[in-house]
Amino acid sequence: MKEILVISGKGGTGKTTLTSSFIHFADNCIACDYDVDASNLSILLQPLNLIDFDFSAGETAWIDEEACISCGLCAELCRFDAIDSHYQVMSLSCEGCGFCAQVCPVQAITMQARPSGRWFCGISQQANTVLFAELRPGEDNSGKLVAQVKSMGRKMAEENQIPLIIADGPPGIGCAVISSMVGVDLIVLVAEPSRSGFHDLQRVSQLMQLRGIKGVLIINKWDLNPEICREMEEWAQKNEIQPLGRIPFSTKIAQSVAEGQIPGSNSDIKEMLFPIWENIVDQLTVV
Amino acid sequence: MQIAVASGKGGTGKTLLSTSLMKVLADYDPVLIDADVEEPNAGLILRQEVIDTADVNRPVPEINLQKCNFCGKCAEICNFNALVVLADKVLVFNELCHSCGACAYLCPQNAIKEKGHPIGVIEEGRVLSGGTLLTGRLNVGEAQSPPLIKAAKGRRKDAELKIIDCPPGTTCPMIESIRDSDYCLLVTEPTPFGLHDLELSLEATKMLGIPSGLVINRWQGEDEDLAALSNRTGVPILARIPFDSKLAQAYMQGRDPLAAMPVLHSILSDIMNQIKEAIA
Repeated sequence: MKEILVISGKGGTGKTTLTSSFIHFADNCIACDYDVDASNLSILLQPLNLIDFDFSAGETAWIDEEACISCGLCAELCRFDAIDSHYQVMSLSCEGCGFCAQVCPVQAITMQARPSGRWFCGISQQANTVLFAELRPGEDNSGKLVAQVKSMGRKMAEENQIPLIIADGPPGIGCAVISSMVGVDLIVLVAEPSRSGFHDLQRVSQLMQLRGIKGVLIINKWDLNPEICREMEEWAQKNEIQPLGRIPFSTKIAQSVAEGQIPGSNSDIKEMLFPIWENIVDQLTVV
Repeated sequence: MQIAVASGKGGTGKTLLSTSLMKVLADYDPVLIDADVEEPNAGLILRQEVIDTADVNRPVPEINLQKCNFCGKCAEICNFNALVVLADKVLVFNELCHSCGACAYLCPQNAIKEKGHPIGVIEEGRVLSGGTLLTGRLNVGEAQSPPLIKAAKGRRKDAELKIIDCPPGTTCPMIESIRDSDYCLLVTEPTPFGLHDLELSLEATKMLGIPSGLVINRWQGEDEDLAALSNRTGVPILARIPFDSKLAQAYMQGRDPLAAMPVLHSILSDIMNQIKEAIA
């Protein structure tokens, strides 16, 4: 079993557009969405028969008003300013470290499990298993929820002898991205040809190479800035990242997404994207 | 006044809007905080002269093995499993540590001190068009961005007008970025993705009680779903920025968006007037 992860550093470069199309082309695969902050893959894959599961990670402090003697030690020691002047815990600020509960002289503070989000499992129109998740707004622990989705995806792939996992990654280079990279065989970097796009590509590639994962590059909307596009491809080659394809700016792709359709299911768009997918499959066989 | 520019979805135009606002509001000597510390881009759009770079550290435990008797208390109380106590050594996993300080405070042998662990830098730049840019830049490989965002927001507390270019998403880094703001501009695009992620961001601003308004970027005439959401939640649509391939191209090539699309200037002034009215 192999796993492909699509990431970009910068948001809005076309990760979900491409991931959904690759899943459409691959036929036998498991689809995972690791963007647990703002999960969009399922909007295009429209999975049916959804089952959802609660996800809890970490804890939140709770102060028993009756027992509290208002000594102020908890508020003084809390590094996250999570305890207000009335000795109420502000759950959005609480990191769940439990320092307050440890030091409270009258044991008025207990740590309680914190519901952080949900994850879902369903079947796409093409009969692929789709896994995605929603972290509750304001929650911490996105890395742990990504790990939960990933472990379910891997388990299902093994049990059902499915040879491939294709995953849509989150933007950025922080905890969710680091967690997304665990065990991945090939990373598909999707970049747009701008100074920002180039800068963000370099940072996420650096993270990828720190983790020792092989990457390939696709430049989306390349014709909006051919000069930087070439510069990015030269840079990629120097850094052992194979440029695998360019996608022109296309109102057809934009329209397909606006209608909630998988872009690769449209025959004109497929013509553009399928050769890139074949290149990715070639690269995957050698990792 | 502090205005956060946020969006659930990435790539909707947060940086375009916040950097253009800097130019339109240059007379106020504004401070722009680039809180997208994982991928900061405002400094690539605004021309600036960097005048200061400061390292940012967060505290992590350091064990004094002369004093430690390997009792295991620190590992027992650490809720993040950042410490493992063996027979004759203590392993510290900095990347798991949340810098709460409990281990150092509670160690019975007083064998734990905290030391600074570098997580990134804050650059302060003078923006040539006016104002100041504070850029947080997370070190590659660091997982936790909120401490750096907090540090960047803590500088220049005196500024009269602060604009915060927020990271995408709706979870802890976004919350840390929009916290304490007087107003939150939510930038979205008229697609199913934009709509879905906007609904989540509205939950976040509501939880924090921050008044907010919507800006629809790349508007192409149809926005029934967004208008319905605005009606349902009472969060007004402040502006619609029409899709313009000239603007897209200019922005990608690093040219001034306000020159490529002059009407943007009046759209932004109008947004500012509406914000001032809303928070007056």
